Amino acid sequence: MEYEKCYIYAPPEPSSEERPLKRPRTSKSHSQPQLPERLSAYRRIWTQQEKRIQQTLEDADSVTQEKIVRFIGASTPSEKEPQTPIPTGLVVAGPSIASHGSFFSRLGQSIKSETNSAYTVLTSGECPNLKTLLKCLVKKITSRTDDGDEDGDLHHSGVSARKGPRLLDFDLGHVQQWQNKNKTQHIVIAIQDTEAFDTAVLVELVDIIYSWLDRLPFVLLFGIATSAENFEDRMSGRSLRYLDGQKFDVTQSDVIIEKLFGATLASTDVPLRIGPTLSHRLLDRQKDHVQNVQDFIDGLKYAYMSHFYANCPSIFLDEGLLFNDVSSESFEALRNLPSFRRWIETMLENGNASDVRILLESDQSLYEKIVEHVGLGQAAMASLSQAASLFHVVRENLQLSPPVRLSTIWTRAAAGDIIGSPLFRETMLSVKKTSSDRLVPLLLFLKELDVEGSPIDWDRFYQNLDKLVQEHAGSGPLRSQDDVRNDSVRTTVIAQKVLLSKHKATLSAQDKAYSDLVARLFDELDKYFTSAFIDPRALFLSEVLMYDLKSPHTEVFQPKPRFAIERALASPHDYLGCSCCDRSQGEGEAILAATQPATAILYQLFLESGVLINASDLWSAFEAIIGEDNQEDESRTSALIQRALAELRYLGLVKPSRKNTDHVGKIMWKGL
Amino acid sequence: MLPDEILDTLQSQFPCRESQIQQLTTFYSEHHLPSPPLLVAHGLTATGKSSIIKSLLELSSLPHTIIRCRECITGRHLLERIVASSLDALDAFGDEKIDRRRYARTENLSSLVVNLQRLLEGRGKFVLVLDGIDKQREAPPTMMAALGRFREVIPNLSIILISSLPLTQALYTSSTPHVHFVPYPRSSLLTIISTKPPKIFLTPPSADKFPDYTSELAAEDDAWLWGRFTAAVYDSLSKHTGRDLVSFRMTAMKLWRAFVEPIVAGSFGTRDFSRLMVNRRHLFQGEEGVLDRIIASESPLINAGSSLTSSAAPLTAKRNMRTLAHDLPYYTKHLLIAAYLASYNPSRTDVTYFMKHTDKRKNKRRVHHAASTGYTKAKHRKISRHLLTPSPFPLDRLLAIFRALLDDPNVPQAADLYTQIATLTSMRLLVRAGGAGSADALEPGAKWRVGFGWEYARGLGRSVGLEVGEYLVGGVD
Repeated sequence: MEYEKCYIYAPPEPSSEERPLKRPRTSKSHSQPQLPERLSAYRRIWTQQEKRIQQTLEDADSVTQEKIVRFIGASTPSEKEPQTPIPTGLVVAGPSIASHGSFFSRLGQSIKSETNSAYTVLTSGECPNLKTLLKCLVKKITSRTDDGDEDGDLHHSGVSARKGPRLLDFDLGHVQQWQNKNKTQHIVIAIQDTEAFDTAVLVELVDIIYSWLDRLPFVLLFGIATSAENFEDRMSGRSLRYLDGQKFDVTQSDVIIEKLFGATLASTDVPLRIGPTLSHRLLDRQKDHVQNVQDFIDGLKYAYMSHFYANCPSIFLDEGLLFNDVSSESFEALRNLPSFRRWIETMLENGNASDVRILLESDQSLYEKIVEHVGLGQAAMASLSQAASLFHVVRENLQLSPPVRLSTIWTRAAAGDIIGSPLFRETMLSVKKTSSDRLVPLLLFLKELDVEGSPIDWDRFYQNLDKLVQEHAGSGPLRSQDDVRNDSVRTTVIAQKVLLSKHKATLSAQDKAYSDLVARLFDELDKYFTSAFIDPRALFLSEVLMYDLKSPHTEVFQPKPRFAIERALASPHDYLGCSCCDRSQGEGEAILAATQPATAILYQLFLESGVLINASDLWSAFEAIIGEDNQEDESRTSALIQRALAELRYLGLVKPSRKNTDHVGKIMWKGL
Repeated sequence: MLPDEILDTLQSQFPCRESQIQQLTTFYSEHHLPSPPLLVAHGLTATGKSSIIKSLLELSSLPHTIIRCRECITGRHLLERIVASSLDALDAFGDEKIDRRRYARTENLSSLVVNLQRLLEGRGKFVLVLDGIDKQREAPPTMMAALGRFREVIPNLSIILISSLPLTQALYTSSTPHVHFVPYPRSSLLTIISTKPPKIFLTPPSADKFPDYTSELAAEDDAWLWGRFTAAVYDSLSKHTGRDLVSFRMTAMKLWRAFVEPIVAGSFGTRDFSRLMVNRRHLFQGEEGVLDRIIASESPLINAGSSLTSSAAPLTAKRNMRTLAHDLPYYTKHLLIAAYLASYNPSRTDVTYFMKHTDKRKNKRRVHHAASTGYTKAKHRKISRHLLTPSPFPLDRLLAIFRALLDDPNVPQAADLYTQIATLTSMRLLVRAGGAGSADALEPGAKWRVGFGWEYARGLGRSVGLEVGEYLVGGVD
């Protein structure tokens, strides 16, 4: 091949009967009983959740949106003074870029409905330069009219084209014509992702809008992801002089997530719960990687979908389900659940063998038990959620530090490890020590909250306390006997040793009465929490009531593309599963074998080398591994290495080096 | 209107511009007298060029049109604009409508000449004003020269070019009259600004308590105090920061309310100027009055008055303002810090700073530090690294430093990291460094750099409990 510059490589034909050695594993799909029914059950339950989510999102934004709408309504450009700056709103929307779009579209709806304004959103993608930006702006504003007007528009432009000079399509004169007809009070331009815009384009846009301000009532809204100061630093001094406005802070996404969590997962009437592992993952991902409300909602939805799709007994979550609607396969699946087995075993231990036999044999009686236990389980989960929120309220009102979020409390409660935890002990102790000035607002709050089915009579507690406080004449608040301020420490020095001894101050009669009240409250709270904070995973049917599998969720929401490619190349056996390059036969280390794909071999050689790789060295090492006996025919090996190298280059792992023509540069390292 | 009347009106409307108004009125007040075919009015910003010419032409009722060049996006746009607004102006000044069909297109300068020639044939004098011609975007290179020679083909067209600098070089024609609008000196600025003094009392004091304080008296006080106040503002601030009328007025208006606050509160009389100056001296010492800001409401001027004794208070307030309004996720912050370090540390020092398995790290670092400062000082001054522009780095270096910074080495290689990098790029906190192929997102070995400064990086580091300065080569300060 020395004399040939290039040649066509004809790979040796494998014989057609032989199946290829390496091929991906495939398996047949399983049968899915009652899929349509589960789909409808999913849809019903998810619709409720979606309503709650929408409601929460709208509530979260409403304050900011109202402010912005009021600002726009108030900013009337005065006709007399030509030199007024452009009214500008800096909407600091936070780093969760993906939720900006929906925020601005909701904002647009409320602006349009409450003020007589035209509203357009510009994004950086559609505005690479000033001309395109203006074109886009003109198009978006002028096509906002109703259908009836549009005919007139067409007619009008047709006439002007025949009659005289036509406006170029990026001329704001179009907007002026439109404005003369429609007479809107403001033209609001929202710039959704200000940071992504070219600064020069923004400066010019501000300049042009300022110049037109005496004819067109523009209002600018800048969506800012970092901070308003950052934006001001980027703009030139002259543009800043043309702008005058206010800053609007959008609710931070972690606050919204917290609210969403309270409304969807930790709410009392949710038929299907997300388990502690998964909700912990969802929250952690928000904290560590992305702050994105939409992503949280998607994760939740996916969990619901997977539960109903992959879990056959999930059909029992459908309300109003009749016995005849359930197929026997579902009962069979249910009998295989670990929680069913546990339940049966406890029944056996209690000596109810006949009941167990009935349950194992008769679908009808099992059905009745299931319906009963689904209701019981949901009630238990509801009381757990309620206790979690009560716990949160208590902590918040006693101003304990560090502040612990409801989501954290709920997740720990759902994992069943809140009773006996330091957090629980600390909270309960501080209840004991509370002085009356903190307890009064807490009880008042709880009384107002009036949790349904709460076992504690808050009203009575409050009235008793109120009476005590009224009678109390002293300056300070009432203190219980466990309050630290009722302790005094005495120091005695005996034989050069310091002894510290604590002494209780003598309590007044009122303080004693108050201590009794606090002690009663403590007991009742303790009883309530102990009864409510159960381990939900121990419940019968917990697999149906709670979805807590991390497997498909992690792969879908946190894929590892780079890791997957690196692993596939470094140890191809993991994916191919063929017997020929099984790693376990070797000494544990990856062994390079000729049976591996050529690209994988080359990649492993590549891993061993430095930044610059000599192509000739690579070739000799590769040849040693492929190890064809007949040295004459290099064409196969040569073709393989060339293809492998091209593939590595295509993956972006190597690039040709400019300094040394016979070397390739390494540009990616494994494990990053 | 007669030329003398025009002159008087303009003089009263625009004080301190006598000679310029006189020159312009001579040229453009009479219909039957010839005007110069081309005139250049030049001067810096806020010297009254555009407004005087506009008022003059309106008063003289000459047919004219004014085109703001900064509204025109391209050269073609300007040409179309000229024809269209000339048609509009002639329609407005004349009686009959002009048939517009012949003027549908103006692609280039020659068709502009043809169109204008056809348009102005057999008509009287027409004045075309091009405002800010030197700021025109994508102007055809021959435009200026062509405008200078329009007089040869269209005798009844008179063009006024308004620019900030004289255009003698660009026009290629000699003997073009120039009217220079000189920047206002101190005395003129004070005269102009004192024509409309703002009020001391936004709501007049109640008539029952002060029956003698009439509105005439109040106006007199306003003018008296405003005159002295503006002189002080000019001498202390505007003289050094912005001497033009607009920024001077802006500064004065910004400081005015804070200045008269004690009078409104009742602690000083309206004529206690010198005591007021001493009391409010911090207004003239700080930079807040001359900075351009979008958000006017949160001006710290008023607050600063209460804490006169400690100058540190406004500083800390400012620093608090500078902190992140919205918190970034945990790993995103680490990515940003890693990017900052990758940009400001030379890659050869990475082994020293980020290898975990060497106990010589501290020693090496100190040696490096001492050598770099002690040795180079004698030869040439070394600029601290964090004051230089960030240098580009490949993505893998960023990820490697990111992993070295984290305490927990088991961060999964998930796609979330790449999502964050993309997000940061669209926030311009990370920027793709230029060069060939930088538009391609999949370009192997693409380089990046950071888009923020030291203060921000330090803030990020402190929010996750990491002192960035410890990892920075050469240290900071």
